Amino acid sequence: MAKNLVALHNKAKSYDWQFTVGDQSPKYPTRYTIPATGKDPFRMLIRDYVKMEAEKDDRTHGFLDGVLRMGIAEEIQPRFMECMKLTLPDLTNAEFQAVSAAGGLIASVQNQELRQGYQAQMMDEIRHTQLEMSLRDYYVKHWRDPAGWDIAQKALYQHPGGLVSIGLFQNFNTGDPIDCIVNLNICVETAFTNILLVATPQVAVANGDHALATTFLSIQSDEARHMANGYGSIMAVLEDENNVPALNRALERHFWHSHKALDALVGWQAEYGATVRPWSYYDQWQEWVVDDFVGSFIDRLTEFGVRPPERLAKAAEDVRWSHHTVGLALAAMWPLNFWRSDAMRPADFEWFENHYPGWHDAYGGFWEAYLQMAHPSSGRLMLQELPALPPFCQVCQLPCVLPRLDLNEFRLVEWHGSKYAVCSEGCEWVFRNWPEAHAGRKQFWERYHGWDLADVILDLGYVRPDGRTLIGQPTLDLERLWTIEDIRAIGYEVKNPLAGL
Amino acid sequence: MPLGAAYDCRDDETLLAGALREGRYLRYGCRHGGCGSCRILLVEGDVEQSGSSFALPASDRADGWVLACASVPVEDCVVDVSATDLTEEEFLAGDQVRGYTAEIAGIRRLTPDVRGVRLRLLDPPSMRFTAGQFVNVEVPGTSVRRAYSMANPPSDSGYADLVVRLLPGGAFSALLDGRLVPGDQLRLYGPFGQLKVRLSHRPMIMVAGGSGLAPILSMVGDLADRRNTRQVTVFFGARSATDLYHLDRLRALQDRMPCLEIVSVLSEHAPADQAGETGLVTDVIGRRFPRLEGYDAYLCGPPSMIDAAAALLTARGLRPRNIYFDAFVPTG
Repeated sequence: MAKNLVALHNKAKSYDWQFTVGDQSPKYPTRYTIPATGKDPFRMLIRDYVKMEAEKDDRTHGFLDGVLRMGIAEEIQPRFMECMKLTLPDLTNAEFQAVSAAGGLIASVQNQELRQGYQAQMMDEIRHTQLEMSLRDYYVKHWRDPAGWDIAQKALYQHPGGLVSIGLFQNFNTGDPIDCIVNLNICVETAFTNILLVATPQVAVANGDHALATTFLSIQSDEARHMANGYGSIMAVLEDENNVPALNRALERHFWHSHKALDALVGWQAEYGATVRPWSYYDQWQEWVVDDFVGSFIDRLTEFGVRPPERLAKAAEDVRWSHHTVGLALAAMWPLNFWRSDAMRPADFEWFENHYPGWHDAYGGFWEAYLQMAHPSSGRLMLQELPALPPFCQVCQLPCVLPRLDLNEFRLVEWHGSKYAVCSEGCEWVFRNWPEAHAGRKQFWERYHGWDLADVILDLGYVRPDGRTLIGQPTLDLERLWTIEDIRAIGYEVKNPLAGL
Repeated sequence: MPLGAAYDCRDDETLLAGALREGRYLRYGCRHGGCGSCRILLVEGDVEQSGSSFALPASDRADGWVLACASVPVEDCVVDVSATDLTEEEFLAGDQVRGYTAEIAGIRRLTPDVRGVRLRLLDPPSMRFTAGQFVNVEVPGTSVRRAYSMANPPSDSGYADLVVRLLPGGAFSALLDGRLVPGDQLRLYGPFGQLKVRLSHRPMIMVAGGSGLAPILSMVGDLADRRNTRQVTVFFGARSATDLYHLDRLRALQDRMPCLEIVSVLSEHAPADQAGETGLVTDVIGRRFPRLEGYDAYLCGPPSMIDAAAALLTARGLRPRNIYFDAFVPTG
């Protein structure tokens, strides 16, 4: 920045005042001491920032206009588009929670330099929300099967996948503001969004969706600034060594929770929502999470006492299998989805076995049986083949069959006279240390215990405009779609696996 | 993020020299195109290049990589320094590399052609370095410098333990024939280099050839200091048993760190009581590790050993990006 602009920028930062027209109390207290001044991670004038962002928006929306004219929606692989009906609203929830988070940080962190960055982030997150809604507007109008896109955000929040999204992303804006930064800026935005927003566009392009790739890359161009917010905030907090133990606990907690929720979703989208797979999720994870986040970003902070996540090795091993198990679980519950699922077939089996040796032994049988039951005339659902429905983890909200059915780490935790299901030692540790944050979440199966599956689907609203054809279908190529009558004829009763415990 | 900074280079001034002269900092090591520490990406513009083809292979040059210490811009340029992990603070802070006055505390004959030189730091009395780094030692009475890795861990910050291979006519090594003795003072500059143990969960393979054991020793010592629990297997390759050295230090580190395994590998015949393996280091690694996915590897020694080891490791599934090396290129 030219010297006069530097002076102007610094002067702008001095416009801080104690106003009396509103309550300036932060929503949540903090246990950390935060210095009043520090390094400004933003270093732009707002007028230059908005010009830059407006240009990015113009390019992205211009591209949407172009793909519309070129009929590119017809080129998208159906598997990719259908899985996006879960993934994209999940991400939009994150963006929206981050808007609130950034606003909360502006109010909570009494440091004018850092506030500059949070202000930009708040505007960025609004832009991201709007970009994604524009993309979804394009999809709902031009994708050949818009059912699900039209109700996506509401549908998400009712679906078990949405409970995963809520469970993680509420940590952006709920609780100690510095812990919120650890979750949002450090774990989610520095560690995990690279795979989502940089690597996943490669999957999108390989599967015909250039619109998504362009949108995600535009979003990612702002993430560098959010990572800088995180780094600047943490460096400010690290000026006081008394902050270090709390920071390490927060990092351990939010790294584990982010890993559970995001690896499940993005791994599933990248490999099960794809016909063409340019890479394996496991490999991308090694590069982005281990080498870049831990090996570079966290490493830089170790001289100040920051420790890498203790459960890094466990997370790395889980990443080998978890998203395959989630893919299996989502397929088994296909009637309860607001998108069309698809069967994995021999060509997919070969790819999976090459990249995840042992995959066929663990998952092949399920997919072969799944395909046999795909047509409504089968009169069978994979749900009926399960000995019981899996409970969802009280912390991460994923099914307690992870990382793999035969290796699952389900356990019950008791707190204040009630029993709670958790999926792993890591989630148990989170629950025991922050029980109030998690104990109140309702279980999906608990809500629908004793219901006929057909009534659950109707209650969720996951039917097409004719009121009887399910939005969810087991494969993409059915001509005769499943209806509520087909489900009701099967007579499947939802049984909460934790009932009576 | 772009640093958004600019600086000028004078005529015939390298990218590195211009930055340093203007009070900025780019990572560097040997300053003569031999170590690769200053490898950066030329995004726009053009430079005249020199430097070692091992430090920067032709394929890297074709992809736009240059050595900042060996590249003179011929027009305005834009460079991407992110591969050197340089932060903006480091760039703006300028060259923090310092000069040290040290006293020779001891010279040990480790093998017929390797000497251990222990230097006590006098002014300043300690050096903050990362295990795996090296210093440039000034040949007394000249401006010539030679690079040697520290063999001691960073916790031993008042000293620099060097492992020096004797080269015929070597500018520094030849002085160890008696012309340099304990009590003599030397000037050192550093620390330099980006070789270090990367923070991860992965088990490690370390391969040392000749004087390449020095940075490996430093890294293993540092891991022991930090109570490391990741599996570490060190392969120390030499021609014959008389070429092995610092075995006592390695055994002491094993006592402190149970997850450390040391495998000495002799390429020529071994005595009957020789523990360890015979053959080429790469053959031994291949026998012991049919698959190497999920490992980190650290290679230090002659370029030919590094080339061979890297080829084997990647063939066994180790990711190329997780192979870290320091090639010991003799400068004479």
